[in-house]
Amino acid sequence: MGHFSVSVVGKDRPGIVAEVSRILFEQGCNIEDSTCTILSGQFAMILVVTHPKMAAGEINPAFEEVRSKMGLMVTLHALKEEEVVHEKAFSGQPYIISVYGADRPGIVYMVTKELARRKVNITDLNTQVVGSKDRPVYVMVLEVDVPEGVDMKELEKEFDRIRKELSVSITVRPIETMEL
Amino acid sequence: MAILPILKFPDPLLQQKSAPVARVTPELSAVIGDLLDTMRASPGGVGISAPQVGVLKRIVAVDVSASKRGAHVENHGLLVLVNPEILAKGGRQIVREGCMSIPDYTANIERAQWVLVDALDREGKQVILESVGFEAVAIQHEVDHLDGILFLDRVASIKTDLFRRKKYR
Repeated sequence: MGHFSVSVVGKDRPGIVAEVSRILFEQGCNIEDSTCTILSGQFAMILVVTHPKMAAGEINPAFEEVRSKMGLMVTLHALKEEEVVHEKAFSGQPYIISVYGADRPGIVYMVTKELARRKVNITDLNTQVVGSKDRPVYVMVLEVDVPEGVDMKELEKEFDRIRKELSVSITVRPIETMEL
Repeated sequence: MAILPILKFPDPLLQQKSAPVARVTPELSAVIGDLLDTMRASPGGVGISAPQVGVLKRIVAVDVSASKRGAHVENHGLLVLVNPEILAKGGRQIVREGCMSIPDYTANIERAQWVLVDALDREGKQVILESVGFEAVAIQHEVDHLDGILFLDRVASIKTDLFRRKKYR
C-alpha cells in the first residue's frame, strides 16, 4: 500500500473539499490525515492518503479537471514508507511561545533561528497581522517541542536581545495538560 | 480491586446520561475502588468518571494532589463524589485538557474558576464543598462525563482550541 501527500492551494470558494475528496474517493484512495486553512483568501489543504495499488503518478491525471475548472494547484507526492510516522512521538517538553509587536520584517526569522540552533522542533506556527491599517501589530504563536538538555534560561537571554532589537514582546510558557 | 479498561471515543456509552445512585452499597464501593485503581494507573491522571469504564452511574473521583501541577495548589486531596451536582459556579479560566477517553487530542476549554458542589461521599454522607482552580476544572470535566458531555462538545474553535496530541507516553 502506498502513501502519498496531496496539497491543494487556490482561491477560496465553497466546494473545494467536496471536489478533491470526490476525486480521491472515485480513485479508491483512503484519507489518512488532513488539515486545511484559509490564508488571505487562499484555501490551502494538505492530505496524506493511501491507495492499495496505484501510485501517485497514476492518480495525478484525475485532478486535471479541478486544476482547470476551479483553478486549483494540486500536487501529489509519493512518500517513502519509512517517512510515514504513525505516532507523533515528540519526546521533549511542549511550550507555547507568543511573540507580538509592531509589524516589521525579520520577526519570524530571528526567533526561529534561535530555536533551530538548539534543535527545538516547531510543531505548530501561526502568524497574523492584526490591529488597524496604520498601526499593524504582528502576532506569532508557536508551539514547540523542547528536547532535554536545552537551557531555557540561556534561551530567555537570547530572546531578551531580540525583544530589545525588534521591540517585540516574547512570552514562553510550558504547556501543561490536565489529564482527566 | 482492579484496573478497568477505559472506553474510548466514539464509544456510544460515553455520550449517555448516567443514572443517579440510590444508595452506597458494598457493590458500589467495589466499583469506586476499581475507579480509583484505574485513575491512579493512568500517568498524570487526576480524575475519572464511572461511565469512562462503562458503568453508567453518577460517580466521579478527582485527586489533583497526585499531579505535579496540582500538588502545590489549593485542593481537597482525594475526592469521591457520588451524585455530584454543581450548585453554583463563578469566574472563568481556560485550561488545556486531555481526556483518557480521547487520547489523540487535547483542547483549550473554558471552565468556571470556582464551583460549589453537593454530593455524597464514599460512605453515602452528604457533603457540600467549594473548589477552585485546577481542582474545580477536574470536577467540571468529570461531572460533564455523567451527562454524556465530552470536552470536544465544549471546544469553541477547532482552529485555535483543539490540538492533536504531540506527545505519547
